[in-house]
Formats: sequence, C-alpha cells, structure tokens
Amino acid sequence: MAKKQQKKNWDLKAAKDLFNDYIEKGSEKREIPLPEDTIKIDDLNRKNTLERVYNLVDDIIERIYNTGKPSILLPSRSSSNIIWDEENDLLLLGKQIIEKQFHSLTSVADITRLMRVLEIINELLVKDIHATKREVFYTDVKLFTEQKTSDKSIEDAATMLYTTRNSTHVVAAPKGTCVGRLRIRDRNDIIDLEGLGSGGWTISPMLDNIEILESDAEFILVIEKDAAMMRLAEARFWRKYPCILLTAQGVGNVAVRMFLKRLSKELNLPVFSLVDSDPYGHYIHSVYLRGSKRLSYESPFLATPNIKLLGVLTRDLDKYKIPDVARLKLEKVDIKRIKDLLNEDFVKKNKKWETDLKLALKMNIKAEIQALSSHGFEFLTDQYLPEKLSTGDWI
Amino acid sequence: MRIFHKKGGGIIQLVDKKNMEEWSVELPLIFIEYIREKQLEKYNDTSVKKEISAYLDEILKDVAIPRLISVLEGENEEETISALERIKEISKKNVDMARPIKPYLDNLSKSKNKSIVKITQEISNNFLKADRRKELAKKRKIMQEKEKQFMAGTISGEDYAKARKEYLTLKE
Repeated sequence: MAKKQQKKNWDLKAAKDLFNDYIEKGSEKREIPLPEDTIKIDDLNRKNTLERVYNLVDDIIERIYNTGKPSILLPSRSSSNIIWDEENDLLLLGKQIIEKQFHSLTSVADITRLMRVLEIINELLVKDIHATKREVFYTDVKLFTEQKTSDKSIEDAATMLYTTRNSTHVVAAPKGTCVGRLRIRDRNDIIDLEGLGSGGWTISPMLDNIEILESDAEFILVIEKDAAMMRLAEARFWRKYPCILLTAQGVGNVAVRMFLKRLSKELNLPVFSLVDSDPYGHYIHSVYLRGSKRLSYESPFLATPNIKLLGVLTRDLDKYKIPDVARLKLEKVDIKRIKDLLNEDFVKKNKKWETDLKLALKMNIKAEIQALSSHGFEFLTDQYLPEKLSTGDWI
Repeated sequence: MRIFHKKGGGIIQLVDKKNMEEWSVELPLIFIEYIREKQLEKYNDTSVKKEISAYLDEILKDVAIPRLISVLEGENEEETISALERIKEISKKNVDMARPIKPYLDNLSKSKNKSIVKITQEISNNFLKADRRKELAKKRKIMQEKEKQFMAGTISGEDYAKARKEYLTLKE
C-alpha cells in the first residue's frame, strides 16, 4: 500500500524569486553578445532565406566564371572548429572555413548532394511548405544512398546559408509534447494548451507557423520521460502551480529545443529539467543547456543556457530516502559517460554539478524518476517537485 | 510580450500588438474575441482584467480596424466580405469600436456585389440603431427634467405634452 503523504501548500518561493529576478532584469539584459571568433547564424523568415539561396547560387556561378575552378566555401563543422563560449555557456561554431572543390571525386559527390538539397530547399520555400529529413532523403535515394548523407547535406546547406535548419523548411518529425498555461497560434488557429487533455499538444516542427499569444505561467518544467509527464498531466500540475510542461521523450530534437528556447526567451521564464538520476539524464539536461556538438552552428537558437537541473539529483536519493530496491548500480557505460561529462568544461565550471556526478560515481548508484513512486504515485507532484521549487534545491 | 502584473503576485503575458501587423487580417479580431471570452474571466483580478481589456481595445483601435480598412479599400471581394462580417459582429457588440469604418460604408453600398451591399446595409442599420439609442437616452434625460418642472408648475401642460410627444415618437 502506498504511504500517505501529508498534503502541504507550497509557495514555490525560490522559483518565484528567480522569475521575478528575470522579469526585473528583462531578457535583453540577460543576453551576452556572442564572441567575435564565432560565426553568426540567423533565424530567417521565408523571404530572407530564399534571398540567401539566390545570393549563394549567384556567388557560385560567379566563382565558376571568374576562376574556372568551381568550389563552395562553407564553415567547418569539425570538432576542432567547435568552441565553448564560457560567458554564454554555449557550444558555437568557430570561423574556420573549408573549401569543397568540384574537381576531386569525393567532393563532386558531396557538392552534387549539396546542390540537390539546395534545390529542394528552394522548392519548399517557394511553395511555402515543409518536408522532414526523411522525405528529403526519399526525393533522391540513388544520389543520397542513405539518410545519413542527406542529413549531413541538409546541415551543410543550412550552415552555408548561415541560417538555422528550420529556416530552410526542412524539419524533424514531430516528437515532443507540451501542456500547461499557454496559448499559441498555429497559422490562423488559436490553441489552448490547457484544454487538450492529458496528451497535450504535439510540438510542431514547423515552428515558423507558431507564435506565443498568451501565458500566465511562472516557470517551465522540461521532463525527460513520458511516464513522468503523464503523472504531472494527470494531476493537472499546472493548475495548482502555474507552469508549462514539456517533454521530448529523451533527448530533445531540434523542434523541441527551439520551442523551449523560444518559450524561455519570449516569456522570460525560469526553466527546470526533471531527468533520471543517471549520466544519460544529465547528458539530456546538458543538451538543453548548451546545445549539441553536431548542431553547434545553431546553438544560439537551440540552447537554453539558464535551464536548471532540478532533479533527480544523486543527493536526492538519500535526502528523500529512496529505498535500495529502487536504486540501480552504475553500468560500465554509465561510468564512462560520467567520466566524459566530468571532463567537459561546462561541468568543471559548475561545482555543484561536478559534485553530484562524483557522488554518483562514489556511491555507484543511479535511479529513474519513477523511483520516487516508492513513496506513492503522488509524491512527485505533491512533495518532491513543490519542495524543490520552494527551497531552490537545484543545480 | 506585453506584461500585466496581478496585485497578489503573478503575471499575465500577451503578445505585443506590433507582432500583429504580420497577421492575416481577421486574426487580430479573433485574438481579441478569444481573450475576452475565454481568458479574461480566469485572471481573477479586477484591476488586471481592466488593464487587459484596455489593451484589447487598443489592439482593436490601432491594429485590427486599420487592417480591416486596408482590406475594404482593396479590390479582393472575398476578403472584403470576410472583413465586413467581422465588422458586423463588432458593431453589434460595441458600435463605437466600429465607427472608424463608417465613412467607407457609403462606397461599399454602391458595390455590384450583392453580398457586400447586404452586409454593408446591416452594419449601417446597427449604426442607426445605436444612434437612436443614444438620442433616446438624451431625450429621456430631458423628459425627466420636464416632468420635474411640470410637477413643480414651472412649465405649462402644453410644453410638457410637446416634449412627451417628441420622446414617444423617437421611442417608437
């Protein structure tokens, strides 16, 4: 039988103080300019992206006429060109430029794919429609041979245009869901995210059609797992505690991260993450926090540097008396992941985070969010989250 | 976003009216109606409700109506009909909000499109009804004054009857 919890009214003081601080400072004041040795990427509307496509093609044609040695210049996306900007806590792309020439056999294949992707992007923009990466691959299976290559060409094309992938109208398949105190519009339809039942709104990858209209939320909670999201949705957590809940069922894809970034920037709300107490959960948090290496060129539009790791922290397992049966031992791969994370600059800089990861190593434990249910199904919504948000117990 | 602070803490954020310049012509009105009908009651704070209501009026005056006017001056009849339908709705609920449209109605009533003429007529009728209501209120005030004067014996029965007749004619 589940243990009875004492229902308490939490004031979420710490979360509210953080929110008031954000509102007082305003989003602009919190934003630090990007370093000069990184490339600048813009999130463009359809018209401006099309203009960039035409300018790029004009440049290529001009180079062909002038030099007779046709080539394409694009920012390098290799790891040596990925820079961690400490001030903004973001992974960014440096200014190294690579030249792909038409006259080598490997480059010709690459360039042909790249030009084909540009052609597809042009078609999508002219028709004002969107396509998934999978659809792009199927437009020319013979040329791309596998989706990995078409995906790479799509990312190269976006980098070449110095814009986000979403601006090219090539999108990822819908994955995450969002629910809570938020009203948005999708083109001409107004959507109330409080009125969609427990399932919530599937985050549209066509974010250029989405606009935030109204919200009385005071924070955003990003949840790693569907099961935890379901628990919070069923409890209508946002009714008692004004918030927006969002899940990506694992690592956030581009649409989820971009939507979260937009929510956080436009509404100026504090963002918290609730992930498993394991290195993969911490990794998921880190991707929301500072972006992924693969998509470092669009980190400023995908990363949410002010996101706080609310839980489940390793130290929570003892603090909330999670029983041994709900704790798991670290596997080899977990230990490697923790060590990799401990080597990252952004973890080294954050002492609380470093301590928590070291504690996991020392105690040789991990646990899922669901481990909190050992105190009852409502423990997460009635005690754990409100207490942490009231006391400011986050990293 | 436009921020509104609740007295007891908490805030409400609404999209800035500047963003609406890019919207389709009917969307600012749909937004105004949506917030008024579905959200306003939920805010549980009289002063914030008042502020938001004023902001919605501001959107109507500064964005929604001017956008509608630009459509009324255009040549796309389908857009004109859709805009006129919206104006008709506004004129029913709050005629003063639709007043900036009035000067355009004369021209529209001469249109060759029967639907445009019909809706234009309905809007004109709403204006007429509203004007009559205003005048009646004015006359009612005068009538009440006359009644007092008549009872006090400061005006003659003839003067009172004349005022009464005017009032009743207008009322009918």
